[in-house]
Amino acid sequence: MRSAIIHLGIIAAALLLALTGVLVVTAQEAAVVVKFVNGTLPTDPASPAWPKPVDVPLTSQTLVYPLPAATESRTASVSAVHNGTHIAFLLVWSDATKDVVTLGGLDVFPDAVAVQFPVSRAQLPYICMGTVDNPVNIIYWKAGLGAENLVAGAGYGLNPQQREALGLQATPTSPVELLPASAQVVTDIAVYKDGKWYVIIIRPLGSVHPLMASLAGKSFNAAFATWDGSKGERGGLKATSGWVAFQLEMPVAVQTASATQTTTPAPGATQAVTITTTKLVEATPTWAWVVIGVLIAVIALLAGLALRKK
Amino acid sequence: MNVRAQIAMVMNLDKCIGCHTCSVTCKNVWTNRAGAEYMWWNNVETRPGPGYPRQWENQNRYNGGWALDGGRLKLKIEIAKNYKPPSMEDYYHPWTYDYEVLFSEKQSDQQPVARPISLIDGEAMDVTYGPNWNDDLAGADLILEDPSLDSLQKEIYQQFRDVFMMYLPRICNHCLNPSCLAACPRKAIYKREEDGVVLVDQNRCRGYRHCVAACPYKKVYYNWKTGKSEKCVFCYPIIEAGQPTVCSLTCVGKIRYLGVLLYDADKVLDIAATPDPAQLVRRFIDEVLLDPFDNAVVKAAKDNGIPDDWVDAARRSPVYKMVKKWKVAFPLHPEFRTLPMVFYVPPLSPVVTTFEKAYGAKITDIMPKVSELRIPIKYLANMFTGGDTMFIEQALKKLLAVRIYERAKNVAEPGLADKAKVALAEAGLTEADAEEMYRLFAIARYEDRFVIPTNPKRYAANPYIERGVAGLP
Repeated sequence: MRSAIIHLGIIAAALLLALTGVLVVTAQEAAVVVKFVNGTLPTDPASPAWPKPVDVPLTSQTLVYPLPAATESRTASVSAVHNGTHIAFLLVWSDATKDVVTLGGLDVFPDAVAVQFPVSRAQLPYICMGTVDNPVNIIYWKAGLGAENLVAGAGYGLNPQQREALGLQATPTSPVELLPASAQVVTDIAVYKDGKWYVIIIRPLGSVHPLMASLAGKSFNAAFATWDGSKGERGGLKATSGWVAFQLEMPVAVQTASATQTTTPAPGATQAVTITTTKLVEATPTWAWVVIGVLIAVIALLAGLALRKK
Repeated sequence: MNVRAQIAMVMNLDKCIGCHTCSVTCKNVWTNRAGAEYMWWNNVETRPGPGYPRQWENQNRYNGGWALDGGRLKLKIEIAKNYKPPSMEDYYHPWTYDYEVLFSEKQSDQQPVARPISLIDGEAMDVTYGPNWNDDLAGADLILEDPSLDSLQKEIYQQFRDVFMMYLPRICNHCLNPSCLAACPRKAIYKREEDGVVLVDQNRCRGYRHCVAACPYKKVYYNWKTGKSEKCVFCYPIIEAGQPTVCSLTCVGKIRYLGVLLYDADKVLDIAATPDPAQLVRRFIDEVLLDPFDNAVVKAAKDNGIPDDWVDAARRSPVYKMVKKWKVAFPLHPEFRTLPMVFYVPPLSPVVTTFEKAYGAKITDIMPKVSELRIPIKYLANMFTGGDTMFIEQALKKLLAVRIYERAKNVAEPGLADKAKVALAEAGLTEADAEEMYRLFAIARYEDRFVIPTNPKRYAANPYIERGVAGLP
């Protein structure tokens, strides 16, 4: 009798675990809805085309050397729209001083914002700029300098031949690298008004380089960071967010068309290159929890049957 | 013992005439570019004065170098939490003149004037400060800003008859314990193992400027155009070929000497943390710098892969002789604890004056005594030995003794030979030393001043793969 209770308990626990797995998977679903607009994307922060923004909390990154972080908690308001081929993000955050790179500005640190995307969808990368196995694609905007399309984490996981094929320098010089000129496809529009930065970042939905994230499909993840230049923030001195989920809104008529459009291979990307980037990511998806839960339930059932036979 | 070799420099301030040829040739070779207009990798300061950038020695203002925190070395920027590097105002706003006007102006009663214009944006500007402002009469009131002048010297200085001056040429010191390197979170700065040159990797640098703030000599500069920091490269492509740096080669006064110094890398941190700066200089010269004639040192050098021609060059090195053998050259501001590898022979300033009646100077001999020199010993000690006047005095005595000895050889005057003997004995020099010092300080030729072994690139493991980083270009 007692063994039957234990047996039931194990099954219940296993089912609970499976359910949690399902919940984790569903929790990955979009929190920020990327609104679909027909035709051109808005280039004015005040445009009515932007949906209601979502507030993303940002906190100081922990630093030990040479300078501990002095940033406080902040909020960035994020909204996004897409037109089937391109996506635009509107990032709004408060900054009391406008710090823009100037001619001869030796002690000027520009205000900045960054958006980070996982290169692979198999598993969310490490939030602090990815790892060798699971790199991230970063768009880094600096006041007065514009936006750069970068990749972080991939550098040390590739051999010189693979790196040269990807248009990178044979030997990595830094964990964060500028993608080649052909992948510099990000445009930016920035306005500073009433103590707030309004930065619009526009990029293609799909990828034009094996190390650039593709955002096409139903959903994607992104993380954010801001720098306050007047406080001397640069590099690791910044405020960062966790992963934020985005869901792409798609009108039924356009859905299939855009899906085929965005999956076209990048120009100039060779086959060898594609192989290396798929190798980069070890697939351990979140739905593995569901499988584990179901497996435990099956084992428990079998064990129960065996016990009952005794 | 972890023996390494570095190509180090000595500047003999006694012979510097302040012509700035070193600065100008350096500028033409390295910093004649947009974003680098304000940079002087080599600059010459007329001291006393505020220097370039203004008051660079004042670490309460700039937080450069190392400090002892509970007996341990810590970056000053870390303790002070200062993340602001100097501004253009602290250096100076670089300018040129609008010469075009001289040709394009329409004829009128007045002559056209070439007004100063900014080198950065081309706009008309007023010149209010420069990289050696106090040398021009315009900046004389800034002389007392000099952080190495203590209050007593300031008083002396303000009495006109005791006014003194000297020139101080400065480059990056290519330190053994560089604080710029330690401050870089990107590991963009490195000290080359083969010759000790400290470089900023332009591929790794992201322009955070922690190094600019952390260098106590303010010898890392931020290029606002490229968004990266740069510094003196010790003319490494020329040095690798066995040739002297541009500043050394073009020096009119032939004040610069280049040669190999062997040092013990294991002792660097320990000695940089010596509490008393005066002790620190002595220990730096005695313990960190090694004797290339010591068999144990030579063996350890060979074990560490230092080639024979480098050990041989270390034995012939003029820098070794001046710094370690005769102890007449000292590092600039050792109290910053970076163990700089550029050394200075303190100047034997001119004799106070021979117009005894007019100025009341006490002249006892044609060769002055160390105590009669114009530049206060304490001022030199504040600069070179962490305040230790004895160490400076010993060096000046040696320099004077060599002059007295040489004069005795050439002037037929009774009693001179005895005077020379006394002077040499007092300075602790033999006649052979005096002869060698005379050769090196007064009549040295190119091959005596520059003993530079060529660089075999022995640390590039895979030149093809590391091309652009450590191997091929």
